[in-house]
Amino acid sequence: MTNNGRKIKIQVQNLTKRFGDLLVLNNISFNVYEGEFLCIVGPTGCGKTTFLNVLTKLHPATEGDIYIDGEPANPQKHNISFVFQEPSTMPWLTVEQNIRYGLEVKKVPEEEIKKRLNQVMELVGLKDFRNYYPRQLSASMDQRVVIARAFAINPDLLLMDEPYSQLDIKLRYYLEDEVIRIWREMKRTVIFVTHNIEEAVYLAERILILTPKPATIKKEIKVDLPRPRNFADPEFVNIRNQVTEMIKWW
Amino acid sequence: MATRIVAAPGKIRSKNNSLVWLSAASLVVFFIIWYGLVESGIISKALLSPPAEVLTTFISKFSNRAPDGATLGAHFKTSLTLALTGYITAVVVGAPLGLLMGWYKKVDSIVKPIFEVIRPIPPIAWIPLAILWFGIGLPAKAFIIWLSAFVPSVINSYAGIKLTEPVLINMSRTFGATNWETFLRVGVPSALAMVFTGLRLSLSSAWMTLVAAELLAATEGLGYMIQMGRTLARPDVIIVGMLTIGLTGAAMAFILERFEGKLAPWRRS
Repeated sequence: MTNNGRKIKIQVQNLTKRFGDLLVLNNISFNVYEGEFLCIVGPTGCGKTTFLNVLTKLHPATEGDIYIDGEPANPQKHNISFVFQEPSTMPWLTVEQNIRYGLEVKKVPEEEIKKRLNQVMELVGLKDFRNYYPRQLSASMDQRVVIARAFAINPDLLLMDEPYSQLDIKLRYYLEDEVIRIWREMKRTVIFVTHNIEEAVYLAERILILTPKPATIKKEIKVDLPRPRNFADPEFVNIRNQVTEMIKWW
Repeated sequence: MATRIVAAPGKIRSKNNSLVWLSAASLVVFFIIWYGLVESGIISKALLSPPAEVLTTFISKFSNRAPDGATLGAHFKTSLTLALTGYITAVVVGAPLGLLMGWYKKVDSIVKPIFEVIRPIPPIAWIPLAILWFGIGLPAKAFIIWLSAFVPSVINSYAGIKLTEPVLINMSRTFGATNWETFLRVGVPSALAMVFTGLRLSLSSAWMTLVAAELLAATEGLGYMIQMGRTLARPDVIIVGMLTIGLTGAAMAFILERFEGKLAPWRRS
């Protein structure tokens, strides 16, 4: 797994999760490099959500662990952001207060909070809406608040769990480009989980393909295409077909 | 185009106006039927006073102590003090307790068995015990009102915080927030709407129990005034007392609603 001499940021080692007799995650190991955009695809119901919940320490792992910069991951110590599938803005807070939430939990000094707020709100284009409540926003603006909140804490690890699966195609394309733009600007390490193969090929530097339950890594595919990527590019189509075959033939 | 923009708000206003007229008309019809029933002799004046007499009694009761020993203002003040004492102490304890029970399983396990048994006991069933413990002064009645307001404020806060979106709790936890921090900053605000429903139900429950408590043991208060009206066969006094209770209850609900609008601005449309 050479990666142009990039530093390893995240190490997942022998991650296993059992619910009683049911084995959901089977000995998963992989690395993520600093500033990498990694996509994980797998068939529906392969345990992706469990995988993410274990990664973020919402659930304890049965065996194995995840390390950030060589230390066991700890949400209280490391900066971990999670962009969920469902809308996750807090309806009782304004756009600005929502974005502040992570920074305040992390006890970032007020001056620094102001600086970062301005930076991310500029980046996602929400400056003029800072005093709006989520109820007053469109679905895409709401997702942008969530993304701004996730990036604002300068996460060591940003996890995205099918964040666009409930949006229409036009909005999805738009937000995919947005997240790539913000990722390039902020230079964060991202794990993006999706069941949409085209989306994975469009976004990822590297794709991990999971097997059906109990999930383990079936294959790793590098996507070394220039951005912005073209869905009709023969090379793009080739990689997409490759991933599709991997998912189809278990 | 311009005229349409100007015309639109006017249309809305005239529609609102017609609704106001409808409400006014319903009141007028109500009073006419009331008046008709009494004046035509279908209902005896000894049982139901005509509207005009109720109004006269209402006005005179502001300064007149007869026939029940105190002015309307004095009765009102006694009842309001009593109800608010019981109500405020109940919700100050009840709402936080419900929130904690809904969030922390341990608190739930400790409190729930006792609470589930106390919950179905109607507040007035506590009256004998309350009198035994506290006599017939303010504490006994305040205790019964406290119980009646306590139960709905606990139940609704409990149910409200249980409904907190799991995704918001997970979001807070992945940011590294402690459980207590998540409780305060995610659980409580998300439960606020239900907490307020509890506060409203508690208020009406407290106000209704007040009258029951005063009917039994009191020397002053709106419930006592109604009771005296019955003893003295004065339906006008009874109705004045009832109307005061009704109007006050409505006014308190209105104030609470305003307060909720101030505290939860994100729900304002």
